[in-house]
Amino acid sequence: MGPAPAPGLFAGVANVIAVVVLLIEFGMLRTALLRDQLRLYAAQSFVVSALAAVVAATHALPELYALAGLSFVLKVVIVPWVVVRLMRGTSEDIAGSSTLGVASAALVSIAVAGFGFLAVGALHLPSDVLPTTALSIAVAVVLVSFVLMVVRRDVVSQAIGFFSLENGVSLASLVVAASLPLIFEVAFLFDLLIAVVVFGVLMRVHHRRSESLSTNALTRLRG
Amino acid sequence: MALADPSLPIAVIQTAQAVTVLVAAPGVGGVIARVEARLQGRRGPRVLQPYYDLAKLFAKESLAPRHASWVFLVAPLAALTCYLTVPLLIPVLTTFPLPLGYMGDILGGGFILSLAGFSVAVAAAESGGPYAQLGSSRAKTFSAITEPVVLFVVLVVAVVTTTDLPYAMAATLRSSVTQIVRPAHLLAAAALFLVILAETSRIPVETHTGTNEFGMIDEARGFEHSGPHFAALRWGSAMKQLILYTLLINVFLAPWGLAQQATLGSVALAIVALLTKACLVGVGVTLIDNSFAKLRLFKITEFVAAAFVLAVLAVLTLYLGGG
Repeated sequence: MGPAPAPGLFAGVANVIAVVVLLIEFGMLRTALLRDQLRLYAAQSFVVSALAAVVAATHALPELYALAGLSFVLKVVIVPWVVVRLMRGTSEDIAGSSTLGVASAALVSIAVAGFGFLAVGALHLPSDVLPTTALSIAVAVVLVSFVLMVVRRDVVSQAIGFFSLENGVSLASLVVAASLPLIFEVAFLFDLLIAVVVFGVLMRVHHRRSESLSTNALTRLRG
Repeated sequence: MALADPSLPIAVIQTAQAVTVLVAAPGVGGVIARVEARLQGRRGPRVLQPYYDLAKLFAKESLAPRHASWVFLVAPLAALTCYLTVPLLIPVLTTFPLPLGYMGDILGGGFILSLAGFSVAVAAAESGGPYAQLGSSRAKTFSAITEPVVLFVVLVVAVVTTTDLPYAMAATLRSSVTQIVRPAHLLAAAALFLVILAETSRIPVETHTGTNEFGMIDEARGFEHSGPHFAALRWGSAMKQLILYTLLINVFLAPWGLAQQATLGSVALAIVALLTKACLVGVGVTLIDNSFAKLRLFKITEFVAAAFVLAVLAVLTLYLGGG
């Protein structure tokens, strides 16, 4: 038996880019500083936008350029800027301690990501634009961002976890529906804008009430 | 070709593999130490300094703690023997497998490397010195948690090549560029690199300069040895570093420039290529050394967890994702 055949060059590169998105998601589990986490989110959004541009260039899908440009402006520039603005008033830099240690959180995330791979593998969703591996990775990104939101105990980390979940969804939509009409893709991005506003209000209100960004204070609200 | 390129017997090449590692290992260490000093704005030791150190140690007498048994004195030589055996199993100079290369697969090489580590640890425990014992117990603990990473890397090799021979992995990589860019290969190589950083006692895990401090792991193990036995330990750890670099380079990173025929010229060229590539990897390692801080002892698990994530993702994308 010879060596296992590798997918083509483009598929390999696309998979590597998708893996980078997933690795950045894992990196967010480790970062203790909120600004670092935000930087990682911007980097992740940049990678997703770059992948959209690459797909647009290689598959002659010009409307994806518009999507790549829009998501770059929105997710790499505007969202991080807005979150930085919101954080400026709070004078908190360090993320609330997570319920699990970094190593344990990484192990849980590996298990969850493995489940994502298994689940997508069972579905058999062939795509003519990107390899199915990228879809598995996108689902793993979504699941790991759930772990990030569950494990962290501060509003900013949870918000960034939610935003990066959206990155995973955009990655998945690039695989299964790259030729989706632009209006739907823009609608997804609009969803993100609403989430930013909601989380912004949540951060402000929460900080004004409890003088911290930690969600620990919320447990005291039980009647 | 104007000059005839005389062909070499296979046995000579086989021996040359072990001899290259034996002779060049301290030199590669010297180059790395020099580059590191330069990066820190120091002049640094001569490149040949490790050889002078070894010569000095071999000229000294060897002392052993009073109640230490024969194991204490045999262990450094046993470790050195192990490090001489491993180069026979991995592609050091040639693209084609040499006869003794089938003696063991990647796991076999790993077992022999751990046997060397085990014998040094036993000697350290035998010495009765608290620092040596602390170092050996830590070294064993951390190599136990890096072991799963190595196993997953081997699993990647097994799934990609359907064997676990290092020669087969290198040949697969040379066969096509698609094998190089597939994420499983890149992730496995990165995971192996992180393990090598840990195993050669480099910065995120340990400072390797041999100062006495509580963070010591590998460096502490040889505290009670002296003279020729200490020289054997030092030489052994230099060889271990070069062996691990060779494994990384010739199996995962850049399996090019190896001899394709059993001729004098191509083998000589392969030796030069190997040492150049090893020095380049060493420069990369010193860059990491100079740009990161040492982790606290209990944070090392986070470092290993990162390597584990890479290795497991490699298997997931390959085996479940079909990448």
